[in-house]
Amino acid sequence: MMSEHLCKIDIGDIDLTDQRYQISFSNENIAFLGQSIRETGMIHPPMVRPLNNQYIIVSGFNRIKASIYNKKDTILVYTIKPDADEYQCLLKSITAISFKRQLSQAELIRSIKLLNKFLDEKQMADKSAAIFNMELNAIFIKDLLNIANLPEPALELIHKGNISFKTARRMQFFQQETIKSFLNIFSKIKASNNKQLEIIQYIEEISKRDAISMEVFFQNHEIQKIILNEKSEPLLKTKLIRENLYKLRFPTIFKTRQKVQRKINNLKLGNTIKFVPPENFESQNYSISFNAKNYIEFKANIKTLNNVLENQKLEEVFNQ
Amino acid sequence: MKIHQLFIDNACTRNDEVDYIISKLNIEPQWVDNSQPVYDFINNDSDPILKAKKTLFLTKNRGAVIKECPGTSFYTCCDYTILHTGTFCTMDCSYCILQAYFHPPILQYFTGLETFGQNLEQIFTKNQIFRIGTGEYTDSLIWEKITLQPKFLVEQFATQNNSLLELKTKTTNIESLLDLDHNGKTIIAWSLNTPDVISSEEKGTASLKSRLEAAKRVEAKGYKLAFHFDPMVIYPGCEEQYQKVIHQIFKYVHPENIVWISIGSFRFMPRLKQVIEKRFIDSTICYGEFILGLDNKMRYFKPLRIKLYRAIIETIKEYDPNILVYFCMEDEEVWEKSFGFFPKRVGELGNLLDKSAVRHCGLNSLFL
Repeated sequence: MMSEHLCKIDIGDIDLTDQRYQISFSNENIAFLGQSIRETGMIHPPMVRPLNNQYIIVSGFNRIKASIYNKKDTILVYTIKPDADEYQCLLKSITAISFKRQLSQAELIRSIKLLNKFLDEKQMADKSAAIFNMELNAIFIKDLLNIANLPEPALELIHKGNISFKTARRMQFFQQETIKSFLNIFSKIKASNNKQLEIIQYIEEISKRDAISMEVFFQNHEIQKIILNEKSEPLLKTKLIRENLYKLRFPTIFKTRQKVQRKINNLKLGNTIKFVPPENFESQNYSISFNAKNYIEFKANIKTLNNVLENQKLEEVFNQ
Repeated sequence: MKIHQLFIDNACTRNDEVDYIISKLNIEPQWVDNSQPVYDFINNDSDPILKAKKTLFLTKNRGAVIKECPGTSFYTCCDYTILHTGTFCTMDCSYCILQAYFHPPILQYFTGLETFGQNLEQIFTKNQIFRIGTGEYTDSLIWEKITLQPKFLVEQFATQNNSLLELKTKTTNIESLLDLDHNGKTIIAWSLNTPDVISSEEKGTASLKSRLEAAKRVEAKGYKLAFHFDPMVIYPGCEEQYQKVIHQIFKYVHPENIVWISIGSFRFMPRLKQVIEKRFIDSTICYGEFILGLDNKMRYFKPLRIKLYRAIIETIKEYDPNILVYFCMEDEEVWEKSFGFFPKRVGELGNLLDKSAVRHCGLNSLFL
């Protein structure tokens, strides 16, 4: 049986470069954790494993970093017996988190990848409740393993929320270079799950329709310009990329919408009157609406509409 | 597609009709109490749809033998009547809605010619014109090589004067029909497309040339004809390609023998897209400019549909302005902008087609 004992060690004796058991992601603002430890002390001491006259971290990577940030020379840790095997240490590192809080998707993927050295999907599924504090089936674990094999920085982007689990799952079927290009795009934008999937779908469909590889598509000048613009915010980039992709995927619909919108704008209906053409121009239901707080506003809107009736451009809106 | 497996429902009587099919297929049948073993057999395959195309299930039609075409909401329907003789198809068109329409699809042939005969007798005694087809849930003539059904139906329809039979196909399976006494009451109809679409999307079907040659042969035997441009696919250069197909038609057959030509563009239930992407990885048919139609089916953006329709209609009318051309499932705006009129009244389109049927097939005009 393996057991740990609590002791104080020199931080300098810890090999910070050995991250073999790291499940959690680096805490970007280590100062907050440092401040918390200063205020309340180390509530859960990290766990370390003696190895080659040094210690390697099993759990508590961020807590040790925070202690260094606090300029501490020593730290209270649990040390694992030197003869503990790799598998047991890995289990310690995972369960130290999973029974304290739910693992994030990225942590779960990283854990599964590390565990796969010792267990196959079915074995992991059988032990999932004891390791992850939740039941997972073998098919889902296989999906996670596929995602774990995506090139860097896929996992980091999942952790940051730049790519969703569904997006990562969709990307696994592409060639490595294509995946890298998508990761490059998603690292520079901030899109919801649906928007991420829409971006992938449009790029895939445009490439297939135009009989070009996605790699060739990624060289698209407009897309490159948006991505490489350092001054533009991720949300704005997302909006511009989506607009651009829609224009390429549905050129006629895009042009028609723009044309009709221009014509509607030229009618000068003002801000209070809304003139909406049928969705996708499939039905013939055009709608016009306005709000009026009083009779004067109501009359003013009616007057505007009467004036528009004299405008020849109005009829053009109805004839696409 | 060759049939590899034959299941027969124990409810089917072992008679000449069934023996004929067994002898034509030359496969030892597996008799089953219900459809479950057939479903199990198909679903065990990695591509159940392809497996279903090679697996024939002879069974009884336990539902309505004759029914109205379901049509679709918001778009004008032609009031067609369906003779439900079987389901699915041995050919493998990427866009085939039957792939997503049945769960899973099964290639079924409904035995019991006498049942069809009895149901048709009731139709034949009504004072009304009927346009009846077998090509809604299956191709009418894939059955010609292995069953007696097309021959039987042509002979049944030949005995009356209020109904026409439309046999709609992408095959050239006409041999057993050529020498029948059809009495003009059967139309042989071909679904047509451009050679590009046929080669890329209509796997296992006859070429355009072969279809038109077959049309020429049945025309020579007195059969009236129809053509269906459905689904039309929009792609670069498609207008010219479809116009070429029309020129081809009139090189082979005479306009006066064409009872109608229908046109309709590719539309699909959204879930079909996944099926196409999985089964036809080289197909780009789903990547046109589609919008969600009012009936919740994906349709080409309306201005694109209208542009193509106008070009096609104009070309047909150049050959004969009197040929009845109609839309399958389009709305008032498309009709108005393409034809300059819209059959607005309920049943008006059906009536136009009935009139053409009366004129070409010698049906009783008093029933109009």
